Amino acid sequence: MERNEAIEILAEGRGDAVSVVTMQSIYPWHQAGQGEIFHVDASQCMGSASSIGLGLAVARPDRKVMVLDGDGSLLMQLGSLVTVAGQSPANLYHFVFANGLHQSTGNQPLPATGRFDWVALAKGAGYADALRIDAAEDLLERLPEIFGMTGPVLIELTIEREDRGPLWAGVPMSKQTALLKEQLEAS
Amino acid sequence: MTEAKPVAVGVEASAIVAELRALGIDHVICIPDSYQKTLIAQLQEDPSIRFITACTEDEAMGINAGLYMGGKNPMLVIQNNGIFASINTIKAIPLDARIPTFIFVGQFQRDPMVAVEESRSRAVRMVEPTLDVWGVSHWRLEGPDDIGNIRAAYEHAHKTMGPAALIVGAPTV
Repeated sequence: MERNEAIEILAEGRGDAVSVVTMQSIYPWHQAGQGEIFHVDASQCMGSASSIGLGLAVARPDRKVMVLDGDGSLLMQLGSLVTVAGQSPANLYHFVFANGLHQSTGNQPLPATGRFDWVALAKGAGYADALRIDAAEDLLERLPEIFGMTGPVLIELTIEREDRGPLWAGVPMSKQTALLKEQLEAS
Repeated sequence: MTEAKPVAVGVEASAIVAELRALGIDHVICIPDSYQKTLIAQLQEDPSIRFITACTEDEAMGINAGLYMGGKNPMLVIQNNGIFASINTIKAIPLDARIPTFIFVGQFQRDPMVAVEESRSRAVRMVEPTLDVWGVSHWRLEGPDDIGNIRAAYEHAHKTMGPAALIVGAPTV
């Protein structure tokens, strides 16, 4: 599937979930109108999205938390899978956009692309469940079921290579953190 | 012949925990440190604190940010090498994203008989200069008389919306 197709489906289906988004999913998430509603970008800290999501999920067990991660990003803090599993956050949904590339820096391939298996890694780390979705229509159909699962759940979204240059939303993370804290306090 | 006196003396873990309770700390994110072993043991048993073990200091700072945005009052317990390991995240989250990040840093491998500046350990000598380079304020816990520095570091982190470190100079007892 294309990244933007997945983004549109997730934006439409997120409900009141808090979102944490990183790298090349940030710009389309903002373009889809999701950048100011219970949201924070994980920017300039590759690999931190799942940890930020874990903190939010632990702090607010009454809210679903969705992390839109990248495969290259998650590899930078792969141990976070085990840290997440250690806390067993039932409300954490970890979507990994997997194209096997470091897209932000020019589509350089990840090490062992095509050989490592996100579903096996998440299950092996102790996630409650993990699944792979290859087609947009399957994501659309299965999203309500996914949000009904007990987390932490990792959902690998296999996405196509994009040859555009990197795009950024340009919103300082400091503004977002203050806004999200305020929104969560009021909710 | 007079006996040499230690430069740093271990502080009672119970006294530290009392300070943390007074500050309302409700979550501790830890990457284990031998210098804070007795403190960690007490924190793990404290019913008013949720104790989270992370794999790396990078993760700990992300978790701290999420907890803070979610309305909690967290802190980190790490060792000196963890500061060196997590500089990019210190830049991005506590500093750039303006997240209060209150960090206990154990001076792993410091000989308490020797001043920090004269330590044979590069990690011990370099942790404070490294924090200085990044503009991260820090205080020392060199003995029971420094207990007030815990509150000073905590208040600085929240007042400035950024990181503040308390450097634990001798093994807690």
